[in-house]
This record gives sequence, structure tokens and C-alpha cells, in this order.
Amino acid sequence: MENLISSKNIIKSFGMGIEKRNILDGISVDIHQGEFVSVMGPSGSGKSTLLYALSGMDHVDSGQVTFQGEDLSALKETRLADLRRTKMGFIFQQPTLLRNLSILDNIMLPTLRDGRKNIAALTKKAKMLMEKTGVAGLENRDITQASGGQLQRVGICRALMGDPKIIFGDEPTGALNSTAAVEIMSLLAEIHRTGVTILLVTHDIKVAAKTARVLFILDGRIAGEKLPGVYNETQDNLKAREEELTTWLAGMHF
Amino acid sequence: MYYRVIRRDIKKSKTITLAITLFVTAASLLVALAAILIVNLTGAIDTLMIQSKTPHLTQMHAGEVDHVRLSAFAEQNKAVEDFQVVEFLNVDGGLFDFSNGSLSGSVKDNGLSVQSEKFDFLLDLNGEVITVSEGEIYVPLTYLQSGIARVGGTVAVAGKTFIIAGPLRDSQMQPLLSSSKRFLVNRNDFETLKQFGRLEYLIEFRLHDLADLGAFQAAYTKAGLESNGPTLTYPLFRMFNALSDGLMIAVILMISVLVIVIAFLCIRFTLLARIEDDYREIGVMKALGLRVADIKKIYLTKYLALAAAGSLFGYGLSFVFRDTLLANIRLYMGESENRSLAMLLGILGVFLVFLTIGIYVNSVLGRFRNISPAQAIRFGISAGKAGGAKHLCLNKNRLISTNVFLGIKDVLARRGLYVTMLTVMVLAVFIIVVPKNLHNTISSKSFITYMGVGESDFRIDIQQTDHIAAKAQEIATAMEKDTAFSRFVVLTTKTFQVKTEEGPEELIKVELGDPSIFPLTYIQGHAPTSENEIALSVLNSKELGKKTGDVLTLIINNNPVLFTICGIYSDVTHGGKSAKAVFSAPSGEIMWSVITAELSDPTLVAGKVAEYTGRFPYAKVSDIDEFILQTYGGTIRAIGKAVYIATGIALTITLLITLLFMRMLVAKDRYSIAVMKAFGFTNSDIRIQYAARSIFILALGLLIGTLLAQTLGGMLAGAVIASFGAASFKLIINPVSVYLLCPLIMTVVVLAATIIGTQHTGRITISENIKE
Repeated sequence: MENLISSKNIIKSFGMGIEKRNILDGISVDIHQGEFVSVMGPSGSGKSTLLYALSGMDHVDSGQVTFQGEDLSALKETRLADLRRTKMGFIFQQPTLLRNLSILDNIMLPTLRDGRKNIAALTKKAKMLMEKTGVAGLENRDITQASGGQLQRVGICRALMGDPKIIFGDEPTGALNSTAAVEIMSLLAEIHRTGVTILLVTHDIKVAAKTARVLFILDGRIAGEKLPGVYNETQDNLKAREEELTTWLAGMHF
Repeated sequence: MYYRVIRRDIKKSKTITLAITLFVTAASLLVALAAILIVNLTGAIDTLMIQSKTPHLTQMHAGEVDHVRLSAFAEQNKAVEDFQVVEFLNVDGGLFDFSNGSLSGSVKDNGLSVQSEKFDFLLDLNGEVITVSEGEIYVPLTYLQSGIARVGGTVAVAGKTFIIAGPLRDSQMQPLLSSSKRFLVNRNDFETLKQFGRLEYLIEFRLHDLADLGAFQAAYTKAGLESNGPTLTYPLFRMFNALSDGLMIAVILMISVLVIVIAFLCIRFTLLARIEDDYREIGVMKALGLRVADIKKIYLTKYLALAAAGSLFGYGLSFVFRDTLLANIRLYMGESENRSLAMLLGILGVFLVFLTIGIYVNSVLGRFRNISPAQAIRFGISAGKAGGAKHLCLNKNRLISTNVFLGIKDVLARRGLYVTMLTVMVLAVFIIVVPKNLHNTISSKSFITYMGVGESDFRIDIQQTDHIAAKAQEIATAMEKDTAFSRFVVLTTKTFQVKTEEGPEELIKVELGDPSIFPLTYIQGHAPTSENEIALSVLNSKELGKKTGDVLTLIINNNPVLFTICGIYSDVTHGGKSAKAVFSAPSGEIMWSVITAELSDPTLVAGKVAEYTGRFPYAKVSDIDEFILQTYGGTIRAIGKAVYIATGIALTITLLITLLFMRMLVAKDRYSIAVMKAFGFTNSDIRIQYAARSIFILALGLLIGTLLAQTLGGMLAGAVIASFGAASFKLIINPVSVYLLCPLIMTVVVLAATIIGTQHTGRITISENIKE
């Protein structure tokens, strides 16, 4: 499989002087086109930091991250912004929507920056995505007039608007109840089936069990990697996958 | 605990804390200075007028004086304490030859005097009565200040050379508004030079009790004594002396009010942002049972500490600046005796500033009462804050760029937040445009219509001389033959008695002549067209209590003649009291004649002024522009200076506030900025959004500010002019500066401030501000 993102020996530290600590301590990892990857690890292990580093949202102190062969650390801020807008999609734990905008405007915001001329087509696409994700009818609502699960779907719609190559998710189900979390994961699986690469950070075994590749991070390093393979809802036993993952993680003292 | 909270708070927001302290410092400084200046000014005027023993009534008179009759009147009138007749030798400005120029361009009546014997003394800078030796001359302070004269230098008056021994303080004639200026020489020199000028007299009285002034003035008028010239009184001298520095004090007070308002706006903004940040904590404190007063105290303490620091600092600074500002008062009037009162009033002013801030902060904090603990703890934000401008949908916008749209939408959605900036911009535009309009109006040629004269190019004044009518006729005959003049009119001012229903008869100055040649703009009614019509100046109509259509009775040839008041006009000259009519009256004492003219080729004015000055030495010939400049030059220059200062202040404030505001806004919007950046908006996109916000607010500010300047500002400017005797006052706007330059320069300043203020958006990292 083609390499989409590749990191070589990336180091990122926080703090100063004796309090200085490497939150990423020489991570090298490849994310391939079409993969469904989750990153697990205890709190403070560097999972989210890795996600921000791989997506170019955060600079690394040393090492290299390439996206489709382009060295992210060498790119200018505008090029990075272009990449995020046209090739990447993001879903966060909280919906991260702008309060001043309606739900439809929030979804369309990234694409409207340079797609104002195709506004009709973009509106159509946004409505189609809302239909697909089950939030149709909320278009003109204020973000305070929707539930957490609904807002997270809205966030997914926004992430999909630019037809991204990859979607980064930072605990996308972390703030949701279990039913809503299951629904969101099904949605992500569906998106993955269309060929979009997905990289999630999670501490939830149920979420990780549905991904094809699990990375375990401890103290800023990749302590282990497991490849359960692509999860098929109709054929695979989710319970068994979860148990297998639990046993594996226990072996890593998680 | 309070100390700790304050320290933490100040550390967290250094810039804004500094800004608020600075504004309070500036406000306290200005208020303290204004207080010190007021006390010193009134004190110094008292000192000057006591030292020089200013007359309670001065009747200027050109022509013969009957000393015996005057002495008899003074002796018989019980109110009179002292009486004297002072000679004033009116010498043509051109005969004063300083080493670097003459006074030929001066419209002031320059003249020589000797030191008075009883009162109305001319003083040196130590407040001592000057004794002048032969060959020496003391010069009005203003000429030393303007640089034309210097102490130790020489001046030739009508060919006789004098050594300039020093400046003199003249409580009667040194104010800008006074039309005469006295030079002091020795009696012998005065006698030698008598032949080179026109002798005029100042008939001066000191009364036992100033309260009798009104009655005394009426008695003097009734006695029919010498009165060919203006009558001036003690209160008038006081006012004239107070005027120029008084205006400065008024300006300082106005600026300090503005600074306080801006300090309030800053405090409001930071306080509201702070309350929003601490919303949850405040809710928790309320839930734990703390009283609103207790919570308020935490916030109030900080601002009171800042206000106290600013006030003290401002008061301290006032000691540094006060000497500079007092220099002018000290130079012209001397020291004031109320030093401790000045200090006390300064402290009082500063305390008032402190108190106002305390009350204001307390009232802003009043909204703590509306915070519901349950809601604050659960949601951490105040309810119903989102939204606004819902009809503005991004997905329906096809016209403007997304960034600009987002900027404008944000302003409309969070209107309350932007009110501060809008207010500052409206104020800034207002204080740039109003003085600019005022300056433009006063320096425009048509301003002369407010002086009770039609628009013309050329003016000849014949006054304080004998045979005025014949002399005017002589000039008129010459002008008749002169083809350079396209039109001219001789206007003769005579005094007549007005018959009023109650009280003594009053004298009124009536200008006779054809008013249609140089028409005047009338506030009400029209110019007199028939012999039984009369038009009154605003102040006269007020004083006589007459309006258009009313009837006025004048005594002409000892007979009462009825006139219908046909119009009211503005007049800011001659104390603002005049009248215009077209009847011919052989009787009535001629005060002066004025010939106004228009040239077919206006470029010839300078040549004609020189020609007529040479031909008719008894008349004062002036170019109208120069006449305005000389009469109102000081005022025009002062307002011109005020325009620069106001523009400077307004632009600085705009720059500072926009800068501060943008920094605060960026800090407040970190989260939204991070979200937008995460979804591919560049730093420049974000900065464009902020620029759109500022420009949008600026556009609103310009609109409201200019409108206010035109309406409210016009009224304000009108009030200033009205106090001089013009009622309706139309601002003349220079469209280039008001509609083009002002917006342009404001845009540059606001954009620059926004660019600098939003520099930090580049430093806002997505990970730090979005990460859960």
C-alpha cells in the first residue's frame, strides 16, 4: 500500500529546564493510504500530540513528517493550511463548531473559503452529507439547538466536505454516550469503506476494536502494534476482537 | 487575599492594566491641571487688576474733551471714587518701525501713552508701576512674544528712536479682543510726538462700589457727556483677560472628559471579558453562599487600586506640567495668590475622577446579580449569548469574500462587544471633524457675514477722527471715478436714543446706507428696504426684547419716530450690538463710517490697499482677508492649532484603542481561531477577518461620527459663535478634508492598528487551544 503519512524519529518536548519532557520521543511510523488506524495509550502518553504532529497542526522539534511525500516541517503556513483544507479532515472530542454560524454554515465553512462560486453545488453536497449522517433538517439551527451526538455528526460532515484523503479523529466518541458512540463508529467505518484513510486517537477498547491497526504509545514511543484487520460487522465477532485487544494491552501494562 | 488576586490579575493582563492606569493618569492629570489653571487664572486676573487699578468704566472718545464739565460730573456723582482722563496718541502702525518690520499690517490701533497718575497703571513683569525715562519705550507683551520687538532693541516711532526698555502689562488693552494697544513713553517724548498722531481720550472712572456700575453708566449716558468711541467696563476687562486662557482650560476639560469616557470603555470591555471568563467561578462562589457584595469586592478592589495609582500618578504629573501651562498666565498677569486653593481644588478634581471610576466599576459589576449559579456551573457560559445576525447566512453569500463576510457577521452577532470600539471611532471622527469644520467656517470669506457685513474684497474704516462724513464722501468720490471697483457702499454708523417703555433711554448704534449692495444673510426677515424699517443684530434684539414685526421708537431730531423691525442678523463685531436702516438723518452723532467694496479684478486688492492708504492717511484701508485675519487671526490660529491637536489626539486614541481591542479580541477568540486554522484557514485569512471587522466598525463610526459632527457638532460650534453674537450659524464643510482625508487617514490608522494588534494570531497553535 502507498504511504500517505510517514514520520521519522519525531521528537516533541514540553516544559523548560529540568522540567523539560519529551512527549514524543523518537516516533517513526507510516500510515498507508486506505488504512483504519487507532492510537491507544494512557493519559499523557503523547497520543494526541502524535495526531497533531502527523497532521501538521503542530510542529515537531526534530525528525520529519511527510504527507504524500511533502515534508510538513518545511512547508509554509499557507501550504499547510491548504493541505488541511483540501486533503485532511478533522473530528475532535468536542464538536468545535463556531457559535456565530448556523449548522449548515459550520459544515460549509472550510470549503467556502475558496469555493464561493460553486455555492449551490456545495450546499447540495452539505445537505447530502447531512442526510447520510442523519442530521438532515438541522441546517438552519443554532449549534446550541442540537445534541452532542448530532453535533459530532455535524463535525463529521464538515470533515467530509473537502473530500479528504485522511480523517484525523481525536477521541471523536469521547464525549458521547455509548449508543451515540457506536453510531459514530459505524459512520466512520462506512467512510473508510469509500477509501478514506482514518487515524483515530482513543482510550476506548470498543472503538479501537473496530479499527484494522492499533498502535500503543507509552512515554512518547510506540510500545506495540497490533493488526486485527478490517472489521466486518456481519462476519466478525466484535466481542472476541475486544477481548483479544484487552489481553494484548494488559501485556503492555495498560 | 485581595492583594494576591490583584497581583495575579495584573500579571495576566499587563497591557490592558497598563492602558487603564494610563488613561486614569491622563484624566487625573488633565482635571488637576484644569483646576489649578482655573484658580490661578482667576487669581492672576485679580492680581493684575488690583495692581494696575483697572478702571471700572472707560469711555473712549475721539474729539474735544470738556475737562471742566467731566470733573463736575465726577464730583457730583456720589458713586465716583476717582476720575481721570488719559491721553492715547493713536499713531499709524506704519510709523512704528522695528528693526525687523513695521506695524503697518496691524489692524489694531497702536498708540502711545504716558503713565497714569491715579489708576489704570501700566506694569512691568514684576507687577510694579513702570517709571519710564526719556528715550525709553515699553512695548505691549504681545509684540515681544511675536518677535517683532526685543528688549534692548530699538524702535523708531515717527522717526524718533527709542530703546525698548521692556514689556508692559496692560489690564485694559492687552487681551486679544481689545482693538487698541498702548506703548508707554515719557511725557516729554509724548509731547514731541503729539503732532504725528490723532489724540484720543480714555475717560476713566473708579467707583466706590462696583455694584453701582449699571446705574453710573446710565447716568453718564444721560448726562450727554463725551462718548465718541466704545464704552468698556470692569467686568468686560475681566472677561477679555480670561478669554484666551479660559478657552484653553475649556479644551483641557473637554479632553479630560473624553479620556475618562475612554477609560470607562476600556474598563467595561476588560471587566465584561473577565466576568465571562470567570463565569463558572462566580457561579460557584454564589452557590457556596458568598454575597454578591463579597464577590464584587474582589473585582472592585483591583480597579480601585488601578484608579488610585493612576490618580496619584496623574496628580503628581500635574506638578511637572503646570508651570508650562501657567507660563502664559504668569507672563501676562503675574502670580496668583491662591496657591493652596489651587492645590486643594486639584486634589478635589482628582478625587472626583477616582470616585467616578469606582462608581462606574461598581455599576458594571451589578450584572453579577443576574448570574444564575445553576446555569453558570452547568454550562459555564451565560445563556442566550450565541446567535444574533441569524439572517446573515454564509451559504447564501455570493457577493463578498468569505473572510470579509465572517468579519462583518461577527460584528453584527456580538454587537455588545464592539460598542466600545464603535464609540471610540465615533468620538474620534467627531473631534477631528468639528474643529476642522469650525476652522474652515471661521477662516472662510463668507464668515464675514456673521460680522454684520456683506461679502466683499476691500474695506475702509473711518473712525475716531473728526469730519467723518466729509472724509467718507471724499473717499467715495475718489472710488466713484476709480474703474477698478465694480461696486461699493458707504455705511455710516450713528447713535440714536431708543425709547423704551420702562427705565432710562438707551443708545443704539444704527448703520445707515444701502444694504442691498453687499447683501447679508438674515436669520429672520430681510434687510430694511423702506425708510420706516430697521434690522437689529441678535444681541440687540435680545436686549431690547424685540422680534421681527415689532415696533421700535427712535428719537430723531428730538421727535419719536416709529420703525418696524424687518429682520435680525448676526454680528460679532462691536460687541455684537448694532442695527441697520436706510433712512436719512441729518441728526445723530456719527460714530464711524465704513466703505466696503468689490474689485472687478480681485488680484488688484493689495495694490488698491496701498494706493488708498497713501491717499487717505486718516482712514484704515484693509484687504478683507487681512481684516478677518487681523480681527480673528488669533482665534483662527488657535482653532487651527486645536484642529491639529484634536486630530493628533483622536488618531492616537483610535490607534491605541484599536490596538488594545484587537489584542483583547484575539486573546478572547483563541478557540475560534484555532478551529478555523484546523480547518484550513491561513493566518492571513484570520487577519483579513479582523481587518473586515475593524473596517466595518470604522465605516459605521465614520457615518455616525460625521452625521453627529454635522448636527450636534454644528450646534456646539454654533453655541461658541453665538456667545459672540451670531445666532444661526451654518458650518461650512470642506468636503475634501471631511469626506475624503478624514476617512482615509482613519482607515490607515485603524488598519495599521489591526495589523499590529492581530500579529499574534500566527502564534495561536491549534493543538494548545483545541486539545481537550
